[in-house]
Amino acid sequence: MIKDILSGYKSAMPSGVHTELRAQVNRNRTVGLMGGNIIKNDREDISGVSARSYKNGVYGFASMAELSDEAVKKVLKASLENADFLDTHIKKQREMFPAIASGKQFMDISMPDPEQKTYVDILRMLDDYISNRCPELIDRMLVANSNGVEKLLICSDGYDTHANITRSHIKFKLTAMGEKGNPVDLSGAFGGYGSMLDIANDMPSLYAKVDEIYERLMQKRNGVYPEAGVKTVVMGSTMAGILAHEAVGHTVEADLVIGGSVAGPYLGKQVASELVSLTDFANTAFGEQTPQPIYVDDEGTPAEDAEIIKNGILVGYMNNRESAQRFGVKPCGNARAWLFSDEPLIRMRNTLILPGKDKLEDIISSVDDGYYLLDYNNGQADTTGEFMFGICSGYEIKNGKLCRPILDTTISGVAFDMLKTVDMVSDTVNWTSSGTCGKKQPMPVGMGGPALRCKVMIGGR
Amino acid sequence: MKELNSIAAYALSALSERGADSASVSAAYVETREFNVDGGEFSLFRTMFDNSLVLTALRDGKKGSAAINHFDNESIINAANSCIAAADASGADKDWEFGPDAGKATFVDGVTKPEMELFFSRCRELVNVIKQEYPKIIIEQLIVSHRSRKQVYINTNGSCFDRYSGSYSLMMMFSAHENGKGSSFFGCGFNTADLSVPFIEQASLRRDLASVEKQIHTKSIPGKFQGTVLVPPGCLGEILYYALGTFADGAAVNSGTSIWKDKLGERVADERLNISLSPCCDDIISGSRWTSDGYLTKKFDLIKNGVLQCFVINKYFANKTGVERSLNYSLENLAVGAGDKAVEEIIKGIDKGLLLGRISGGRPSSSGDFSMVAKNSFIIENGKIGDAVSEVMINGNLAEMLNSIRNISLEKECDGGTSLPWISFDGITISGK
Repeated sequence: MIKDILSGYKSAMPSGVHTELRAQVNRNRTVGLMGGNIIKNDREDISGVSARSYKNGVYGFASMAELSDEAVKKVLKASLENADFLDTHIKKQREMFPAIASGKQFMDISMPDPEQKTYVDILRMLDDYISNRCPELIDRMLVANSNGVEKLLICSDGYDTHANITRSHIKFKLTAMGEKGNPVDLSGAFGGYGSMLDIANDMPSLYAKVDEIYERLMQKRNGVYPEAGVKTVVMGSTMAGILAHEAVGHTVEADLVIGGSVAGPYLGKQVASELVSLTDFANTAFGEQTPQPIYVDDEGTPAEDAEIIKNGILVGYMNNRESAQRFGVKPCGNARAWLFSDEPLIRMRNTLILPGKDKLEDIISSVDDGYYLLDYNNGQADTTGEFMFGICSGYEIKNGKLCRPILDTTISGVAFDMLKTVDMVSDTVNWTSSGTCGKKQPMPVGMGGPALRCKVMIGGR
Repeated sequence: MKELNSIAAYALSALSERGADSASVSAAYVETREFNVDGGEFSLFRTMFDNSLVLTALRDGKKGSAAINHFDNESIINAANSCIAAADASGADKDWEFGPDAGKATFVDGVTKPEMELFFSRCRELVNVIKQEYPKIIIEQLIVSHRSRKQVYINTNGSCFDRYSGSYSLMMMFSAHENGKGSSFFGCGFNTADLSVPFIEQASLRRDLASVEKQIHTKSIPGKFQGTVLVPPGCLGEILYYALGTFADGAAVNSGTSIWKDKLGERVADERLNISLSPCCDDIISGSRWTSDGYLTKKFDLIKNGVLQCFVINKYFANKTGVERSLNYSLENLAVGAGDKAVEEIIKGIDKGLLLGRISGGRPSSSGDFSMVAKNSFIIENGKIGDAVSEVMINGNLAEMLNSIRNISLEKECDGGTSLPWISFDGITISGK
């Protein structure tokens, strides 16, 4: 647990400058098994302090790999000097952010940090299970990983906080030989918020996940390439999640809006079917904790849900304090930093397309000729909203029935065009939480949604 | 450097005292100075003072590793205990080993102390030149940094390497805008030790900016056809990284999923294709000087005249598969030999195809099949570059692609990490809406 070496410096923060002091530890534990051999067995503990100063429209930042009074003094001084350097050369002369509520939000930071043997034992058990239950595999790759982030934040203006967010996952990739002699594979992930002990206490659910992926892989061995072209598809909840994150979420991050994203001219306009609503949740959705619960962000802003699309209308962006000032809105706590040495950036937290009223089975049975897309193995989107997702699991739909599995393919489109074609939305949502968003720094995020019926371009082979 | 050597030696002793049969320690002290431009405006100046210490131990054939970023004795002892506990929890595997005694080696390269005023003025000059000469461009984010590193590697076999190095790097994301319309974003960058040349004149910056300004108004391609795709150096690096990571990487060879696993000494590509991995060449900035398993890096030919010479494989996977370890593992430092035709001539010879600016897609399947969106790309028709395109996909197979080379350019570009020509590939499926 981080000792409070920061509070004493609150009074030393200069007036006229927004200052954040952060002490942080990232704890990363990984074990990797390939074909039964342990190829990765690492524990990593990275900690230090950083300071960021905002003055006249520019930031200065400094960090040191030490948790000491001396380091706090040094980074505070250096961050101010860096802000002064830029201010002297650039002279933006911007006003200070509007003040926000001040207070303290200290979370329960207790979280087990099991020894490495726990990770090895879980993977060994899973590997034994797979080697006994999945005879047709030519390769299996398993990874057990936890990353925990403990932060102590003291701000000149805003909330001070002490938080600890840990997520743990087992990820696996199963490979079999396809009908035509080419390897085919499928991956799965199991876990979420919490420690590896939570997974150890729920092995039957992990095994069930493996069984599900193996069964789909066996079907995929005889898969067919989908027919290329614009098709009616049912996107499963995992696909809705990546769509919410990559194709929509990034375009409405305010820094990318300022950088020229497609969302800029669309605020207040219809960007999707009225059946579509999208929110970036802070910490709680539908009465339950989200996969990445943020209560105070790394600028000291108390976190609230950020409503992005409401009934098809683009109603807001995700902001930090600086962009919120620019757009004249209240910041919702989207400024997040990964390591102690990283500055806060505008990031998503738990981005979700909200559920509708349709039953999944009714959606599938409504499609005469199309595809049910279940999972992806990669995805990218442009600030124009043009997206591409690699589809690794799905089925043909013919006359309302699921038919042959499909081989790896790609879907693409323009988010705000494609979302206007959504005409059915399922009444249940699922979260995925094993993803790491890449935007200068890595960042754990949650994403999810319901099943959507829409039209999209599918790549075929 | 002396202090860093002492820290590494202390950590190595701590591992030995705790029962490691063999061990290695990597220690580094890194100072970074970085300027950020967001939305076309300078936004941030940051300095980072960071340490890293990676301890790796083998005990009874079992391997564990622990990484920290503190150099005090208590932290090092805790990390040594953690490393040994991780090893004890692992399974015995006779194929782990550290490189044999390679003696002492010292390297000093690059710019270890940044010229901050000149560095900042080069950044400012770049932003101003873009504003003046490329008015349609919005810089979404520009990150320019200088990093100086002191690094030490030692192992219980006797190897002791150290290095003091430094370099500047630039990474820029940008798009072009006009009358409410915008292009796709594009990213480019380079590493350099040279501030005497303005940033705008380095690597492919000018060409990339001019190209993106022409991508605001796009056309979609009707239907689907087989055509020729001309790939510039920046995009070629990504395609080759995917191909070699799928077919030549040690992990893929070990798992049996590599379709080249039995092709050592055989032709896997067009006979004009020559690829080497060159982290220690002069024009590669900050390439590795030693591998994480304790060998000094050397240049090697991966593909020579189309024939697969070696895999990119560390000692562990080499032991597992019974093949030779490669002389480095730096897929990010690819060098491809030049061809015999100027880019202009290559374009003139293409009847129908694409000039591919960027690919949007993830790793291809194990078989090499890929399906990607062609971003920042232009149609080529009757030997001329035409309109920018949108919503165009390219499909093919990476292994087949390497055997379907039409031309390799005379011209090459070096971005401080790779040294690559332009290559045109036939038989790629190009499909529009």
